[in-house]
This record gives sequence, structure tokens and C-alpha cells, in this order.
Amino acid sequence: MEEKTKLMCGKCGVEMAPAPTQFSYLGHVFRTEVLRCPSCGQVFIPESLARGRMAEVETILEDK
Amino acid sequence: MEKRIRDIKDRCLEKEDPFCASACPFRLDVREFIGRMQRGAFNSAFRLFSNTVGFPAIVAALCDQPCRNVCPRGRVDAPISLNLLEKAAIAYAANTGPNSYNLPPKQGRIAVIGAGISGLACALRLASKKYAVDVYERSGRVGGALWNVLDSAVFLEDIRLQFSNEEYGLFLDHPVLDIGPLLEKYDGVYIATGSGGDSFGLGREAGPDEGIPFATSLPGVFLGGSLTGATLMEALSQGLKASLCIEDFLKTGEMRSAKKNNPTRMRLAPGAIVFTHAVLPASGEQYSKEEAAAEASRCIRCRCDACIRHCGLMSYFKKFPGRIAEEVQITVTPGTLDGDGTVATRLIATCSQCGLCGEVCPENIDMGEFLRAGHQAMHEKGAMPWAFHEFWLRDMAFANSSRASFSAPPPSGEKCTSVFFPGCQLGASDPRYVSESFRFLLGLEPGTGLTIGCCGAPALWAGDMALFRKVCETLLENWRQAGCPRMILACPTCLEMFSRYLPEIDCVLLYDVLAGAGRPSPERGDGTVVSVFDPCAARNRETSQQAVRSLLREAGFSLAALPYEGKIAQCCSYGGQINIAAPKYSRWLAEKRSKDGEHPYIVYCSNCRDVFLQAGKPVRHILDVFFGLNGESAGPPAYDERRKRREKLKEDLVRKYWPELEEPGKEGAMDSRNVLTIPPDVREKMNGDRLLEEDALAVIEQCEASGRRVLDPATGHCLGYGEIGYMTQWVEYAPSPEGYVLFNTYAHRMKIELE
Repeated sequence: MEEKTKLMCGKCGVEMAPAPTQFSYLGHVFRTEVLRCPSCGQVFIPESLARGRMAEVETILEDK
Repeated sequence: MEKRIRDIKDRCLEKEDPFCASACPFRLDVREFIGRMQRGAFNSAFRLFSNTVGFPAIVAALCDQPCRNVCPRGRVDAPISLNLLEKAAIAYAANTGPNSYNLPPKQGRIAVIGAGISGLACALRLASKKYAVDVYERSGRVGGALWNVLDSAVFLEDIRLQFSNEEYGLFLDHPVLDIGPLLEKYDGVYIATGSGGDSFGLGREAGPDEGIPFATSLPGVFLGGSLTGATLMEALSQGLKASLCIEDFLKTGEMRSAKKNNPTRMRLAPGAIVFTHAVLPASGEQYSKEEAAAEASRCIRCRCDACIRHCGLMSYFKKFPGRIAEEVQITVTPGTLDGDGTVATRLIATCSQCGLCGEVCPENIDMGEFLRAGHQAMHEKGAMPWAFHEFWLRDMAFANSSRASFSAPPPSGEKCTSVFFPGCQLGASDPRYVSESFRFLLGLEPGTGLTIGCCGAPALWAGDMALFRKVCETLLENWRQAGCPRMILACPTCLEMFSRYLPEIDCVLLYDVLAGAGRPSPERGDGTVVSVFDPCAARNRETSQQAVRSLLREAGFSLAALPYEGKIAQCCSYGGQINIAAPKYSRWLAEKRSKDGEHPYIVYCSNCRDVFLQAGKPVRHILDVFFGLNGESAGPPAYDERRKRREKLKEDLVRKYWPELEEPGKEGAMDSRNVLTIPPDVREKMNGDRLLEEDALAVIEQCEASGRRVLDPATGHCLGYGEIGYMTQWVEYAPSPEGYVLFNTYAHRMKIELE
């Protein structure tokens, strides 16, 4: 499940690559690079990101 | 909200002076003075004392210690010997000389009539601020009435020392017969002519709420000291205050008397003082340094702090009600348009709303009620993060859906006289609590019907009043349709909700009914010692508290009291469902509550039971004892298990008592034929993260149906996500012959915005 492993889009069979993606939480919108399918845009968020930086930002926004 | 905040700030006694300072003519900051003495900081303790009283040696020698009469230690052992501590501060301070202030001279000439201690105090303060001061004294010496009560060597030396850095005019043998000429020459006058002295015909012009010295009818002329009947210490203090009144007049032109010393409203928490022996000076007269520190350490530095002593939230976050009220104010009504400064959002969602603070507060300020109102205000504005309560609101929706909820008349077909309402969590905790209780109630009263569902507390705790009212309306409608029977409730929180929001319904707690049934429990406690952990929602239900205790005594258990029980019961940490907003605090609280008593707990709230099971505290529900269940403490049920138990409970009860009610399908239920296999470690992790098996399966099926998933060639696993409510849940899985195997699942609150 780590980012370093090569991941393929299940739909397009293309290798996932970092690309800007939009996120929103509690009315705040922001963009960051995560793995996406260059063809269909399917996103992948590894657990380390969800539990790490994303959780930190979520807490910051909740306390803002 | 504004009115509530003002009310809290007005009524809270946290900032009230301690009793000693309130009785002290100088309002010495005793808490600070004692703190410095406790750590042996004699220099800074002396400086505080000296700055407060003006003439430290005179005050130390003459103070009649009104503080001793009001010190609450006096009712337990002996009052603090503040006077001996003051003397010790003088004796052990390295430098007892006055401070020298290098200030430019100020505009303003002041005449002081009378060189007694009051006039000198006024002159000293004004001279040290570099006003031009002249003191007129009709006799040939300074000190006035001090000559009658104190060795002149003491006071003359103190007066000399305190004035040693100051310049002022002293006119001895200079009686003032007419104040008129002084008014032409001076900008301000302080009349302190002593007991029986001349007041120049100036009466009291100040209102009854104003103190002494008071403003006379002549601009710039103030009057105080023994002339007004004050004692020597009061006269000295009035002289110090007169300097402030005069300076105020010079700066603003306003004639304002000194503020009256209002008595403190302080109240001490019961048990705040523990007996200690007073420290007596071994030398007979003066404390040694060690004795001074020991006596200072006896002082509890009185503060009205019952709330912060007893409330988990206030003690953990070290915040008094006034501070919380301020933070909530700026959070609910932020000063800037973009909502910056919403500092208390999480704090608002961290209160268990248990009511203990209001119970222990001498002013009965209930911060739980206030924070609940704050929560509602934040919810109405859409400013409360959904994540804090979504899991529990989804659980409530489940509990009130046809998957777990139902309402049925007495199985006997008799007229419905009572309805058993076990609430939403009792069956999740252990389905037998519900089925056994209902079986027993039917034996007592065949006209007992059954309603299983949630009382709406999670919506109230989430501040969602619209949702809460909807739940209440449904409950009320069901009750009316049943013919307005008595409701037998198993959950003290349900009882709290019903009695407050549905007062027309006659309710009783199950345990009162069990205790009144006169049926012996199958268990024999054989003297085993247990402690009853009263739930916070039952703090005002003395009958129920006693009912549970009598059931235990009859079953042969011995009871050990807990420090918090009955009226001052504490929340186990479940109340308010705070564990998502404040997981660390919630764990801390549960652990703290587990350690309140050394013996196993007996509870009569299933949420208390499950919280303590989770915390590893030996605990049983009173229904375990009454029905002989769970002899050994059971493990805490996982969230998935809690749902399954409630569904099964409904199925079993309907099949047994109302087979005609059996439904073919259920709303919101998974109709999937796929079986999700979850390894134990993944299941444990899911439970910790509050991720449900049925949600994981729904996400997998969404991914499979849409084809939107990622493949990891190294493992052969599929990875995909779906939105469960507001939350985004990820799954790592692989197909299996029965359905799927789940290798991992995790979630985040941020939403992925696909362009």
C-alpha cells in the first residue's frame, strides 16, 4: 500500500502518476498532488497520507 | 447566548478575593504573598507587602489581623498567622529600603493637612510619584495618634526610611485654620486631621456605595483617616487611597471617592481544607525561615474552584467557567467575517453535559447546559465539524430504522398498561438484558408492550435540535397510539430525555420495578465487595440509586462507597459522545473514572458498562446480577457486533412474541449475497477507527460495479474508495469464492473533488 509500489488503474490499465487533485473539507478547498490515472483521473490515497498529513490538516481546519 | 455569558461572568466566584484579603484594609494580595513566602522568596514577598501598605514596619507592628477572624482554617485547626509571616518577610528580606524612582517632576501641588499616619501615607505616595507635596501639622511632631500606641523608635524610623528618597515640604507647628488660602495655592488637598480634628465644615458628599476617603463639595479636596472614625490601619490605607483620588482628580477633573471595599462572595469547595497543626515560632516571637515557609504552606490560597476540582473537562483543560464563556463567545460570534478565532469549537464538543459542575458550584452555574446551547448555536450556523458526531448520528439512524427498531403491543393481547423502552444501546451491549427484562416484566404485568429505539440523545448532544425534536415527536406519537401507558426505561439518559422533553409521559426506571418486585436474584454475592457507579443521568434519581443498592444488598453483595456518587455522580466519559472530537481526553477520563474505586463496579447504564469494559475495569451491569448473566466480565462488544446484536434481538423477539409482525425486507439493510472475510487484526483496527464491516462491503461493491479501482500488481489486491455519509472510506481487497477478503480499510474526512 506504499506510494513507491507501482499501481495500475483498474479501469484503464495505465500506471498511476502524481497529478494535482482538488479536496474540500468544512468549506475549505485546496489542491495537492496525489497518484492519479493519467487517462481517467481515478485517484489513490495511501493510508500513510490519510492517517498522516491529511489527518493533520483535518484537525487544523476543525480547530480553525 | 449573550445573556448566558454575562450571567456566568457575573455569578462565577473564581475571581473573588480570598476571605483574608477581603477583610484586610489594604486588600493585600495574600495569595501572591503566601506563594512567595512558600518558596522562601522573602525579598519579593517583602516588596509586595511594602508596596501594598506603605509603612511595612508600622503595619507589621500594629495590624490587628482582621484576616484571622475570617480565615477558614480557623474552623478546622488554626488560622494562618499572616502577621508573623509579614514580620518574617521584613526580617529575612535582604533589602528593606524603599525603591527609588527616577521620574521627572509632575505638574500639580498638593497640600496634606495632618502629619498622622493617614496624611503621611498620602504624602508618601504622591511624593514618590514626584508631585509637589506640602504637609501641614499643627503639633511639633509627625506621627499623630501613633504616639499613643507604638514605640516612637519604630514608627519614626519607618517614616524616615520610607521618605528617605523623597522630597516634600513639612510644616510643623502650623495649624490650618481656614482651608480657603490652601485652595488658591494647591491643586489638591487631603484633610486627615485625625480623631476629633477639624473637617472645615465639609460633610460627606459621597453616596452610600462609595468608600473613604471621600470627595468633598470643594473641587480637589478629599477627606479621610481617623477624622472619619477609622482605626489606625484603616486610616493608613485611606491615606494611600487618597493619593489615587487626588491623582485621578488632577488628571480628569472628576471628584470621585475611593471605591468601597465590598465583602468577598467567595465560597470554598467542601473538603478543601485538610487538618494541619499551626506552626508556632520556636523562639516565641519570630518565625525562622523554615517555620515561615511551613506556615505559609498551610495556606490553601483560597479560591472558589469547586468546578475545576470536580469537573473532568475544566480540570483537564485548566479553564474556569469565565474563560470558557469568553472562548465560546468568540467562537459562536466571531469578530471577523471569515470566522477566524473559533477557538472553542472542539471544547464545545468535548463536554459530557453531565451537570456535575452545576451541582458542585455554589452559584449552581451549569456549564454543561451552556456548552450544549453553544453546540446548538454552532450546529445552526453549520460551523460544527460534521465528523464529531456523524458516526453516532448514523448509529441513531440505524437504531431507529426498521433494522433494529420496532414497537409492539403486549403479546398477550391485553390492554397495554406499560411499555418497556430499553433504549438503543442496551441490546447492543447484551441482547439478553432486553429479552430477559421483557420476559420478567411480562411475568409481573402481562399488559406490557415493547418499543425498541433511540431517545434522540445523540441528536441533542450533536446540537441538532430539529433532528432531536423529530425523534421526540415519533416517540410521543407511538406512546399515544399505545394508549398513553407508563414507560419503563432501562437507560438513565433516556429517562433524562423523556422527563425533560416529553414530560407528559409517566416514566419509571426498570431497576425501580425490579427492586419492587421482591424476587430474589439468582446470584449470591457472599459478601463480595462492589461499588455502585451511579450514572450521571441518574444524579437526581435517589429512588433508583437506592433501588440498585437494595438489589445488590439482597443478592448478598457488600457495598463500598465511591468518592463521587448519588447527587455528585460523574460521567463515565460516554455522555455527549465526545470521543471523536476529543479522543485523548475521553480516554483519560475513562481511565480516571476506572480508578475512582478499587472494587469492581456495578452499573445501571449500559454505556457506563461498555466504557469501563473498554478501559479494562472489572464491571457488571445490575441486570447481570439480577438475571445471573456474564458471571465473568464480558469483553466490550465491537461496533459491528453492536449492530448485529440489535438486528438479531429484534428478529428473536418478533419471532418469539409477535410472529405476525415478521417483515420480508428491511430498510437500508445490505441485500448483498457476498460474504466479506475480515482477518482478526483488520477487524480490530476497524473497530478502533469506528469503520463498519457493512460500509466496507458497500464500498467494495461500488468499486466493483463502477470499475473505479486501482490494482496493486505486487499483491494482486484492488484498492478503491467510496463515500459513507460525509466520510471517504478506502478498501484494499481481493475477490474470494464467497465474496471478498478485506485486507485493509481506512478513512479520511476530506472529500475528493473529482473534476
